[in-house]
Amino acid sequence: MAEQFLLGLSVVLQPHVLMYAFFGVLLGQVIGLLPGVGAITAISLLLPVTFYLDPTSSVILLAGIYYGSQYGGAIASILLNLPGTPSSVVTCLEGYPLAQSGRAGFALLVTAVSSFIGSMFGVLIVVLAAIPMAALALKFGAPEYTMLVALGLVAASLISSGSPIRAFSMALVGIALGMVGSDANTGQYRFVATDALADGISLVSLAMGLFGVSEIIRNASNVETRKIDVKLSYKDLLPTRAELRSMVAPVGRGASIGAFFGALPGTGAAIAAFMAYALERRISRTPKEFGKGHLPGLCAPESANNAAAQTSFIPTLTLGIPGDAVMALIIGALILNGIIPGPRLIVDEPQLFWGVIASFFVGNIILLIINIPLIGLWVRLLSIPYHRLYPAIVLLICVGVYAHRSSVTDVVLTLVFGLLGYVMKWFRFEPAPVLLGFVLGPMFEENFRRTMLLYSGDFTVFLTRPISATLVFCGVALLAFTLISPIVSRRKTLKSLKGHGGPFSV
Amino acid sequence: MLKKLMLALPVVAMMSGAALGADDYPDRSIRFIIGFGAGGNADTVARIVAEPMTQDLGQPVVVESKPGAGGNVASDFVSKSDPDGYTIQLMVGGHAVSAALYKSQPFDPLADFTFISTIGRFPFFVATRAGAFESIEDLIAKAKAAPGTLKIGHSGVGSTQHLTGELMDLKTGADFIHVPYKGGAAAATALLGGEVDVVIDTGTVMTPQEAAGSFDILAVTSAVRWPDKPDVPTLSETVSPDFDIVSWTGVGMPAGVPAEVADKLRASLHAAMADPDVAARIAKLGAKPSPSSGEEMRAMVERQIGLWKTVVDAAGIQKR
Repeated sequence: MAEQFLLGLSVVLQPHVLMYAFFGVLLGQVIGLLPGVGAITAISLLLPVTFYLDPTSSVILLAGIYYGSQYGGAIASILLNLPGTPSSVVTCLEGYPLAQSGRAGFALLVTAVSSFIGSMFGVLIVVLAAIPMAALALKFGAPEYTMLVALGLVAASLISSGSPIRAFSMALVGIALGMVGSDANTGQYRFVATDALADGISLVSLAMGLFGVSEIIRNASNVETRKIDVKLSYKDLLPTRAELRSMVAPVGRGASIGAFFGALPGTGAAIAAFMAYALERRISRTPKEFGKGHLPGLCAPESANNAAAQTSFIPTLTLGIPGDAVMALIIGALILNGIIPGPRLIVDEPQLFWGVIASFFVGNIILLIINIPLIGLWVRLLSIPYHRLYPAIVLLICVGVYAHRSSVTDVVLTLVFGLLGYVMKWFRFEPAPVLLGFVLGPMFEENFRRTMLLYSGDFTVFLTRPISATLVFCGVALLAFTLISPIVSRRKTLKSLKGHGGPFSV
Repeated sequence: MLKKLMLALPVVAMMSGAALGADDYPDRSIRFIIGFGAGGNADTVARIVAEPMTQDLGQPVVVESKPGAGGNVASDFVSKSDPDGYTIQLMVGGHAVSAALYKSQPFDPLADFTFISTIGRFPFFVATRAGAFESIEDLIAKAKAAPGTLKIGHSGVGSTQHLTGELMDLKTGADFIHVPYKGGAAAATALLGGEVDVVIDTGTVMTPQEAAGSFDILAVTSAVRWPDKPDVPTLSETVSPDFDIVSWTGVGMPAGVPAEVADKLRASLHAAMADPDVAARIAKLGAKPSPSSGEEMRAMVERQIGLWKTVVDAAGIQKR
């Protein structure tokens, strides 16, 4: 293994290859920062360039854009509540409050380091366990996906700082929005008002609207000028010993969750980040701190989405099967270069296979190095008066959303979702569960109906397959725990009040 | 405001070039519209030919993705564009399938287009997990012996792959369960994982898995054996006489493009495809480079629309 990795390093450390790795991650960083413009847009624009490159450099360049964008995505989330990529939505939840309290630089440092650790863990998994992980991924059939997604939906009710009922109702709104478009199992159109919606509402426009645009409306309608005290000294930037200690376990858990979800075709960085966040909330001793800039809630999802970005290369590189649209593009680049990726890639093209993997290692080090000095620059962005900043942001969002699939309808919908998000905030409904429902709802339906078709409507299949049964058990346990724990804690409070002989009114 | 600006852009572009004749064509960039996302087969083919055409015509041929509704968004856009030769479309086999599958389309799939030329033609391959069946005869015999048990995974309801599977049912009398996935890669994953028994898809999806020993390719859907895979029997010579499904990519324009302009573009496309390097790239996608005349392409599309209408009706697929 070490020998092959060294072979990979010898490939990537050639000056011209190293240059493409650097250019890729830098571009990814910028792309991730821009709201709405995702890695997909950037990679598809750069695809023709790969005509002129050798296959290894092509993939290293395009892959760099993808995982680089995971770093950049966090920046706008923290500074402006603008998720640069769908997977950095969760970063808004804790990162933005931290920035509001003047600790933007600190939050950026924490995410850069968490991202780096998560990525490195992901790379390690790719190097050591690509083949077994791919084999595990193949064990996930329709019943397993159905139950995995169901577990995710249960977890969705945990990620809001409000009541579980409110969160769950928001998840239902997300599921309803996810219904728009073609039904994957019959091809029939549902709620398709115009042809532009035939493939559903775009996740980018929903995320940009609910988070970015709604925040802009809220700030713009505030009469008082927003004033954030920006602290930039090293003392404010670096975490305290206690803070550092509180981050270690969440980063590790996040990286593990991310590495797992990344390797499964069809799930990915966004779902991994949500799951990591939900887990931290669930096991936290201080769940009330979430939503106010709580560190574990910031670093776990950042570590998760970066780990997932790396392991999502596993099915692509070992099986030749793209797990998502970005991977399909990378496979497209290989095909353009005359290489048909498949299970034999590792044997037939070891230079390419290991070169690409070694480039992840090198690319992430480059990302860490370019991110830390830039923190000071990003934080100064906050000192620009908001009324000067937001027209530019709105324009960027519109361009980004349009670029996603050349649809004016998407731009209009983004603004509509912005208004919706503003109204929701007014009534104290959280937007995050809407997004999770939107992503997971259609996946649940697709896989559930596929299961029913495959097993002629037999429900017991969920319990007779071991992985699926385990997932069912976890879901039920989680649900029971969530429903029972508030009752138990209320009883405890009641008892302690009675014990002290206090008044009966609670 | 932004929306208005964006809407105005093509109008301005149209006004500036509408009056010019074929001698000056092209004097500005050509939009090459594809109806699918970047990185897919259609996108790849478009980029392969756009590159040499740009050099040949001296103006950039810019690939632009307008995905949605199985390519219908792009077809609608192109059919309503100015027929000045500056908007061209990469058409795929789905153009004929859509005509059979949709209750109504906002355009006429034949009359609203000028057909330029096909680019590549490619068959589908019937694959199973390695060692699961001896031959295509064995597969069909077992499917007939136990109706409604063997499963075909396909790349989506109403995809050419799906309808090809349904046609195989109709012509052989077998009764497979047709399970939709999101794309050929997902269907291939399901076959690898053992969730389905058969997948019918293109060579790009199948060949790497066959080379790795994971899949057996049992048959090809073209009427005669495919040159890339001369050992693979056809469905027509084994279980289903006259079975002939070959999908395609090609180039179209809005109806009413001046003949000289269409000829100039066709000549440029054919010149591009004559380049051995370009031909090799098309072949790598599992397709046979197949330059044609506009009439040949139109006739082929018309024939396929008729065939798919029969299949959609006979298989009882709900129109959308």
